[in-house]
Amino acid sequence: MARIELTNVTKRWGSFYAVDALNLVIEDNAFVTLLGPSGCGKTTTLRMIAGLETPTSGRITIDGVPVFDSEIGINISANHRKVGFLFQNYALWPNMTVYQNISFGLSNIKESMPEVDWVARKAARLAEILAKPQDLLALLRDAYRQNDKSDTDKAMLRLIDTYEISRFSAKEILNLNLHSASDALETAKSAAVRQQAVVDRQKEQAKASGTELSDTFEILQSGQIKRRDRKLTGEEIDLIVRRVARIVKIGMFMGRYPSELSGGQQQRVAIARTLAPGPKVLFMDEPLSNLDAKLRLEMRSELQRLHLQTGSTFIYVTHDQMEAMTLATKICLINNGVLQQYAEPMTVYNTPENLFVADFVGNPSINFIAANGKQQADGSVALSFFQGRKGAFQCKRNVDIAQTVKRLEAESQPLDIAMVSEKKGKHVEKENVVKVFQPRFLTVDMDDADVDAMGENAEFILGVRPEAISIHELGKLEGEVFSAMPAGMETTVRIKIENFLLTGVVFGGVLYKIGEKVRFDLTGNNILLFDSRSGKMLTDGSLTI
Amino acid sequence: MEQTARLKSNRVLILLNRFKTFVSRPQNSILLLLGLILTVSTIAPMISIFIDTVSVHLGSVDAHYTGLTEGYTLYNWQDLFFGKMSQINLWTPLFNSLLLSAFSCLFSILYGGIFAYLVTRTNIVIRKYLSSIFIFPYIMPQWTLAVIWQNVFSSNAVTGTSDGLLAALFNIQMPSWWCVGLFPSVVVLGLHYAPFAYILIGGIFRNMDANLEEAASILNTPRYKIFARVTLPMVKPAILSTILLVFSSAMGSYPVPHYLKLTTLCTKYVQMGEKRAGQASILAVVMIVLGVVIMLINQRTTSGRKSYTTVTGKSGQINKVNLGRIGKYVIAGIFLVLTLFTSIFPIITFAMETFLPNPGDYSFLTSGVAGNLTTKWWIVSENITENGMYGQPGILYNSAIWNAFGGTVIVAVACAILAGTIGLLVGYSVSKNRRSKWAGYVNNIAFLPYLMPSLAVGVAFFVFGSSLGIFNTYLLLILAGVVKYIPFASRSALNSMMQLSGEIEEAAVIQNIPWHKRMFRIIIPIQKTSIISGYLLPFMTCLRELTLFMLLCSQTKIITTMLDYFDEMGLYAFSSGINLLLIIFILVCNALVNKLTGASLDKGIGGN
Repeated sequence: MARIELTNVTKRWGSFYAVDALNLVIEDNAFVTLLGPSGCGKTTTLRMIAGLETPTSGRITIDGVPVFDSEIGINISANHRKVGFLFQNYALWPNMTVYQNISFGLSNIKESMPEVDWVARKAARLAEILAKPQDLLALLRDAYRQNDKSDTDKAMLRLIDTYEISRFSAKEILNLNLHSASDALETAKSAAVRQQAVVDRQKEQAKASGTELSDTFEILQSGQIKRRDRKLTGEEIDLIVRRVARIVKIGMFMGRYPSELSGGQQQRVAIARTLAPGPKVLFMDEPLSNLDAKLRLEMRSELQRLHLQTGSTFIYVTHDQMEAMTLATKICLINNGVLQQYAEPMTVYNTPENLFVADFVGNPSINFIAANGKQQADGSVALSFFQGRKGAFQCKRNVDIAQTVKRLEAESQPLDIAMVSEKKGKHVEKENVVKVFQPRFLTVDMDDADVDAMGENAEFILGVRPEAISIHELGKLEGEVFSAMPAGMETTVRIKIENFLLTGVVFGGVLYKIGEKVRFDLTGNNILLFDSRSGKMLTDGSLTI
Repeated sequence: MEQTARLKSNRVLILLNRFKTFVSRPQNSILLLLGLILTVSTIAPMISIFIDTVSVHLGSVDAHYTGLTEGYTLYNWQDLFFGKMSQINLWTPLFNSLLLSAFSCLFSILYGGIFAYLVTRTNIVIRKYLSSIFIFPYIMPQWTLAVIWQNVFSSNAVTGTSDGLLAALFNIQMPSWWCVGLFPSVVVLGLHYAPFAYILIGGIFRNMDANLEEAASILNTPRYKIFARVTLPMVKPAILSTILLVFSSAMGSYPVPHYLKLTTLCTKYVQMGEKRAGQASILAVVMIVLGVVIMLINQRTTSGRKSYTTVTGKSGQINKVNLGRIGKYVIAGIFLVLTLFTSIFPIITFAMETFLPNPGDYSFLTSGVAGNLTTKWWIVSENITENGMYGQPGILYNSAIWNAFGGTVIVAVACAILAGTIGLLVGYSVSKNRRSKWAGYVNNIAFLPYLMPSLAVGVAFFVFGSSLGIFNTYLLLILAGVVKYIPFASRSALNSMMQLSGEIEEAAVIQNIPWHKRMFRIIIPIQKTSIISGYLLPFMTCLRELTLFMLLCSQTKIITTMLDYFDEMGLYAFSSGINLLLIIFILVCNALVNKLTGASLDKGIGGN
């Protein structure tokens, strides 16, 4: 159970609050993304949980154990928190090869682990491999085609990757020299027999000493697997290193130094190094930012698989909302050190809690429309927007708009909590207080002053996702195509209606001409209604014009 | 009642937790320990000098004028500052010291800086040779250039000594202000410290990203403006570092003003001797105060959030200024001649001196008779028949000389190891605790002895050591040397640790790799060049250090005091021979370490 709890965690430098009274619960085996614009405090939060940064106040527990508590002065250092951390700029050790970088931390682990009969395990695997000599020969012959020095390395690598064995086992196979032996098949078969004999002998020995070997050659004592506090053996370390190297595909760089690798390769080595000890909690600080688009997609799916495979908790910092949406089980949106919303990706997308969240998530960005109106007796809201258009907003939820607005105003602290009371009643005035998020209205030929006035006077703000704009002959609104950006699968189109611009997305690669007159509707029931003063969402629903 | 008891135990618990956190990070405990040790080792000697200034010394002027035989008095202070002799004993030497230091700074920065610019940023020829030969004057003991200057320029008519080379060969008599006093002292010290400036300033020039200047030149900025507004500001930290180091070193130099007959605080100190022991200590205090003032100025100019990391852009190309087809040869030629005089000529002179029949006897040059040269200074192993050597056997057989040499090597090695290790730990713990005030304090206290004039430190340890009864032991020498040279190692360690990203160690911390493994497998290997250079610099400096040690031991203990002895005796052949041996030894060591580890003297001072 690697559940992480943050209670009122604050990080303050002077009067600048990098993280402001953060409350967060990360469940076991979650994949949580910390998402937000640059400088919002995501990396700081990550480092605080990992122990690389000391919070000013608050409490952090990992797995029920308080690792930081400002009230009683607990501050467990990073090396005892048993977490993994992937740095944004790799932090590879330049004086070690890739192999040493990955294995360095492994040689340090000492915990209770099952005892294994390594001789038997290795021999059994070798026997298995040698029992199918045709495949083996094909592989070796292929590797030794070029007939030069690098062939042995290539052969080693192929063996390691294909059969998932350690380099020691691979060396043993290569020493048989099957690729150049005249009676390869016989040599292989006799080698297989020899290995099987080793296995059998080990089994006998185990029986003689009163223990048993399980199917995977762990030593069983009266039916129970024998465990001991021990370090990892060389064989185990090699297997782990090879396994993680396969995941990130850096198997052929094992002997190189970090300075001899490209940026993307270095990042993959860093990922491998973090994965190697198999930590329960994994922190990742923008790990895919240096990879090219294709590799990024591949690595993304690998990370997803890893998450399920290892069962660890992943905490991932990114500013790429696409990554956040696709990978996370829950997104934690932060702005200016303050938590904005913490929910599943689709919840954040469909029902954002405030204007900032609505604007940040979604590509292309959501359309904001200033509106005024009143709630009618039947619960719908009669709105007027653009320059005099009228429409009726059907609320999906049962909300009393007027009361809610009044309540939000009463609660109105600015989005950030301005003063945090620390121990000894010390208040420090927050220097980086930010007002309510100002939505951007896209306009054409309208004075800035008029736009600002419109924003000031609006009581409500409608949020319309681009995909809610449906262009068809019978649309109730008419406008003109301002710009069209076809991207193959979809076309992003900007429609000018009166002085306003709306961004829409049309699937199917339809082509539009600029200036073309179109009719469209605002469809769907995921249209959002926000209270303009506090910026908070009142309800979602549909709009009929 | 119970609540207060609970609160109390809570408080104890909190303190315990805080203590546990503090100790779990090795850099904290190291910092604490070092801070305490360094405070004692630096401040205790200073306190003993200060006490000395107000005590009564039997047989000196304060005892005479106050009539006391023991106890404390302010007489020395009053007399030195306001008495009849204050002009001669305090103000003139102080003024001379300040002038000497200031002008030496100027000279070394100009000479070293220009050379650095030429070597790193223009297409001058024979760059490698010039840059290695330029460092020689720093490797040679300070006074050697002073001695050479005298040997070349002094003349019977002007200075009253035997004729120098110019006077003997060409009958040129240089004027008095050229031969003795402020001018030659400034030139000699400036030449001695120019390599410092060259290494520090050159280091920045070498790493400067060409893009910085290219960006300015694309905007059509004139050359001189680029130099003044882009290039120069980048080397400001190096210039400040140089001023800092040269000013205090020049102020603390004894041999140079002594040979060139300039009265400074240092020479006055030695001159005052027994009769004015208390006032001499006051002079030492004045020197210490000046050192502290310099340190505070340094603090103000380099503190704050400005980062002085050298810019190492990914573009490795450096735009070389074209000196012209002829220019690059001509300018190289000029420097060739200059370095010939400052670096090669001294060595030749030393070698020559050891073959002269009598000290200062250059007759063989005029007469052209090679038979006048002799090898007796080297190989004579008995002192019965040969009478001109004052009973000393030749250098190769002179056990006193070789014992002293062995002593020097022992002291140098011990100093290097201790100072280097302590400096490394200081650099590590300070760089990890950058924002804490205690770290700033430890950094300063480690650096303070460097800023204090060597003589003052020597005096402090002399007083301190005498009271402990360890005068004239290797222990005292090593102690003084370590305290004085920690700054070399700590400065170079701190600089290189600051350039190391903290995440490299954090990546290891997260994997619970213990401290000693982190140090020995990650941090030290990455920076091994600058760390070894940090060990090398104390070693080299210790080998040729005179001022610091001369008050702390007898003249036969180490090779530099021995050299001084022979100089005073007028046996220039011996002193030149020892000089030659020292220089060769240092050069060989430097080359060996450079070959084996890539570290070298220039990297230790802070260059790259």
